[in-house]
Amino acid sequence: MSKNSVFALIDCNNFFVSCERLFRPDLDGKPVVVLSSNDGCVVARSNEAKRLGIPMGAPAFKWRYLFNEHDVQLFSANFEIYGDISKRITNLLTTVTPRIEVYSVDESFLDLTALGIRDYQAWGRTVRESIMKNVGVPVSIGIAPSKTLAKLASEIAKQHDEFDGVMSFFGIAPAMRDDLLHQMPVGEVWGIGWRLAPKLRAEGISTALALTHMRPQHAGQLMGVHGRQLVAELNGTACHPLTREHEAAKSIMRSRTFGEDTNKEYVLESAIATLTSQAAFKLRREGLLARRIGFFTETNRHKPGYRRWVRELRLGQPTADSGQIISLLVQELGQAFLPSQYYHRLGVFLYDLGNEDALQTDLLGKVSTSKHDRDAARMQALDHINTKIGKGKIYYAAERLAESWRPKHQIRSPRYVSSWSELPEAKII
Amino acid sequence: MPKDREHDGVSVHAGFPNPATDRSLLTLDFNQLLIQHTVSTYMFRIRGNDWEGEGVFDNDIAVVDRALDPRGNDVVIWWNEGGGEFAVSRLQAMPKEASCWGVLTATIHQFRSFQREQK
Repeated sequence: MSKNSVFALIDCNNFFVSCERLFRPDLDGKPVVVLSSNDGCVVARSNEAKRLGIPMGAPAFKWRYLFNEHDVQLFSANFEIYGDISKRITNLLTTVTPRIEVYSVDESFLDLTALGIRDYQAWGRTVRESIMKNVGVPVSIGIAPSKTLAKLASEIAKQHDEFDGVMSFFGIAPAMRDDLLHQMPVGEVWGIGWRLAPKLRAEGISTALALTHMRPQHAGQLMGVHGRQLVAELNGTACHPLTREHEAAKSIMRSRTFGEDTNKEYVLESAIATLTSQAAFKLRREGLLARRIGFFTETNRHKPGYRRWVRELRLGQPTADSGQIISLLVQELGQAFLPSQYYHRLGVFLYDLGNEDALQTDLLGKVSTSKHDRDAARMQALDHINTKIGKGKIYYAAERLAESWRPKHQIRSPRYVSSWSELPEAKII
Repeated sequence: MPKDREHDGVSVHAGFPNPATDRSLLTLDFNQLLIQHTVSTYMFRIRGNDWEGEGVFDNDIAVVDRALDPRGNDVVIWWNEGGGEFAVSRLQAMPKEASCWGVLTATIHQFRSFQREQK
């Protein structure tokens, strides 16, 4: 635990919407919603869309009348753009300090402890302006002695215009600090989920301020060690240092909900094929091989007779070959498939991953490197085609399924930053 | 003769090492030539024929850097409210009410493009 730490949270405002707006400045000030490409649920909202009362996670079809009435611009998620913009922000922040924890696609913590910054508010403004100018998306910045407080500060910065996007708990009058914490509902505090919030409210603790006044023993009784730390963090004692950069993926999973529940084996097969291709592509891009592969499938959780099946295999020789994995999993499916069931969802997972160099050390064992090299060359050619011709050029029947229940006017924006044939256009005037 | 597998799959016999497998060899890098700031550089596609005299053609790729402050005779990208599209012009020709999206630092013109035909 440390009393003298300084953390900043850099949090992108309505990140997916901001990415879409970067290439569509005409959408500034208009309601914009981004839907998950898989099941058409709301995954990002502009402030205008929030004000219309559209909730996060809402299924698009339920809100279609409101979308039409208010001319809400719908996008389906374009992760190639979001990933690219996110990486730019991370790169920029790394020039500020290498002590960075990329917490999610749109949030990063920085450890500012050793930087000797005098005026945190001014520092925050500079960083915010730099991201806006260079990358082109707005962020909110919270600065505080702990990560939990920094997160809260960025939330306050977002909610109160007078902070201009940057809120620091350093150098703030105690009365104002208390006032801000008093306005923050307890459920908004990082680490207080939908399960803890009602529990706390039942104890009469309904704001972040009330939480800071909790006795550690009481917090411990109610929420365990996690709760004690949380209260300490809110009182300015850092308990959570930056988490080390996430290591290479330990497993890769791709899953999909079917357009409608299905009892057709071929639908499941093509889903396995599609999802395996995606997962194995990622595997190869990271230079990894999978030693264990598997799939799960389940019926609709919300219908009676819910069932779930999991099948997995350990491979004699690790692989990243889509074709090989697909054929093994499809064989497994043949044994597990029940025509009497209506399947709702299927997922493919690859795990027990190692890098290709690890395979080399197995050279003397039973691993056949010549086979591996042949597979690798074939997959490299396939990836080359896929990246060159563009994704989705070769697709399986299962990918088409989703089309039937996508809102008609929902569009994926062009791949402005990842495809030479979809660059934004600029007209000579 | 036994193959040595340690050189990127290239078979190498004893003797002078194949320089093609030396990863430290420097090569000309177009990113280095064209992109000063990776964080703030975006690519655009040029539309319009009015600048052919200046060597800028329809379908050229424009390298646009947001980090630069536009000045003097710079070529800039800005959002044209009226037309509902991005515009390219000299800074002086940009309307007062428009704001600069980025500064154009280079265009790339391919005489024989091996990229797929543009739509």
